[in-house]
Amino acid sequence: MDTALQILINGLSTGAVYGLFALGYTLVFSVLGVINFAHGAVFTLGAYLTYLLLGGAVGANGLLAGLQLPFTLPFWAALPLAGLLTALVSLLVEATAFRPLRRRRAEPLLYLITSLGAGVILVNLLQILLGAEGYSLPTTALGSLPITLAIGGAQVRSVQLVLLLVAALVLLVLSLWLEGSRGGKALQAVSEDPTTARLLGIDSDAMIRLAFAVSGFLAGIAGGLVGLSLSISGPYFGISYGLKALGVLVLGGLGSVPGAVLAGLIVGLAEALVPAEWSGFRDAIAYAFLFAVLLLRPQGLLGRPQSTKV
Amino acid sequence: MIDATLLVQMLLGALLGLSVYLPLTCGQLSLATPGFYAIGGTLAALLSTRVPALAGAAGSGYPLSSLLLEMLLAALLCAVLANGIGALVLRLRGIYLTIATIALVEILRVVSLNLEITGGAVGIFAIPQPFAEPWGYALWALLLLVLVCWGCQRLAATRPGLAMAAIRDDEIAAASSGIAIEGWKRLAFVLSALVAGVTGVVAAHFLNAWNPRLGNFDASITTLAFVVFGGSRTWIGPVAGGLALTALPELLRPVGDLRLIVFGLVILLGPALFPQGVVTPPLLAAVGRRLPAPLRRWLGLGPAGESLPGASAP
Repeated sequence: MDTALQILINGLSTGAVYGLFALGYTLVFSVLGVINFAHGAVFTLGAYLTYLLLGGAVGANGLLAGLQLPFTLPFWAALPLAGLLTALVSLLVEATAFRPLRRRRAEPLLYLITSLGAGVILVNLLQILLGAEGYSLPTTALGSLPITLAIGGAQVRSVQLVLLLVAALVLLVLSLWLEGSRGGKALQAVSEDPTTARLLGIDSDAMIRLAFAVSGFLAGIAGGLVGLSLSISGPYFGISYGLKALGVLVLGGLGSVPGAVLAGLIVGLAEALVPAEWSGFRDAIAYAFLFAVLLLRPQGLLGRPQSTKV
Repeated sequence: MIDATLLVQMLLGALLGLSVYLPLTCGQLSLATPGFYAIGGTLAALLSTRVPALAGAAGSGYPLSSLLLEMLLAALLCAVLANGIGALVLRLRGIYLTIATIALVEILRVVSLNLEITGGAVGIFAIPQPFAEPWGYALWALLLLVLVCWGCQRLAATRPGLAMAAIRDDEIAAASSGIAIEGWKRLAFVLSALVAGVTGVVAAHFLNAWNPRLGNFDASITTLAFVVFGGSRTWIGPVAGGLALTALPELLRPVGDLRLIVFGLVILLGPALFPQGVVTPPLLAAVGRRLPAPLRRWLGLGPAGESLPGASAP
């Protein structure tokens, strides 16, 4: 029987990761006004890269069967490194799926289509190279931490606490950077109005690339964390997370940074409260929230209402 | 070569392409086509395997009247559902329809995986056959395709189609001209759902079995690739895209594994390299000049120089 504290910690740690992930969507949405559908694939890639950097070997089904890196990193080094690599891939997605259309001033609808294409290619490349089988990150990744910790009479998986701590740390650094640094303020200026920002001497294109890099980093970290806590069930596992994070995004309000985090925590907690006999329906919770918020408060919990400019 | 089985798949692909095309005529991207396709398929599978009254006399095949009834019911169910979702999300501009349709596909997948009546992950087997030969299905699907194409052609040539094209070109300008944008968008979405649902009914009988994988997110990508490849300026584009891209992987067996990568490349590079798809208005005009006048008029291919409704450059 789960205690209330266990449910709370499980829910908050899952929710914090949803928040991290949805924040990646939010950053790109706030500068470009479009959703990057390749985000879920970048998340998947982050999980696989973390696995490989931790010294995991590729299974027998992929083209790279048996591949293993000659070194083994501790989790604390593997996770940020995987994040940096996914940031690079996210820049590549920007260069192929977004920049050519931006040059042509194409309609926003087309970005949805091209970024879906980039995501599909990424996921299927992973499937061909690494095979369709599931991978579990080694339990030794966390070094000498015990599997469970006893807190206030409840047994809590230490992985969940690591998730919560890492997510909180990344969110803290990100919000300090957004609010306090020149780069963060420039990013906010571009999201407010790209043309005015350019007139004020801000390089909008550089800021867009920055948003994609940070968003890719967040997706990679979130992927590594989920991989650690739940294992990687195959190249498609990120797609359902990516779609679920869309629900989180709409719940929080498109483009709202605190909204994404708050909505992530709400959805995570709600999922943790689903009783075990209904667990098959757990994946539908985020979408139930999505439809509810569209009905009751379309701008999301902390979003700004849509304005019509004529 | 193209045999009857592949032909049926191609025709079904063309129908699904048209289902994605319809909301795009007023600038809305719906990824719910596989969801409604799955609703139609599941409905047909359930009715034909569980309702003895539909099975007809013993010894003969599954009656066509029952097939028609299933198609009617699927069309109704999908239209009602799409109308409800449309009423909810089309008040909002932008990408909300896309997100809501993704959510719908996922909810349907989760529900059908977990319900006992839909057979869970295994699905439903031994769906009765109204036609003994694949050619029967090919003829049936062809009739359906011609009917839907005719509908799309009438739509494009009349007031609703012109209103949708105006919304696609500039939503705010259209609203200021007194076009009820929400209503037309909802109509396009409902028609899209209806076409997908009816196609699902035919597909369920043709495939003989139905499982939740047939309506997953991959299918959203595949059907979207049909439209991006063929072009969405006229209904001829998605039909051409659906026919060609369904036949392609079957004809080029060796690339089987790469099928989704090829489709991914189509939708990644297509919008930048071929913004109007393969079937562009100039190509249609060039073809139109060579056709006899009545056929040209029916297809909506005006004489050279006259552009099609909604064919103006973006």
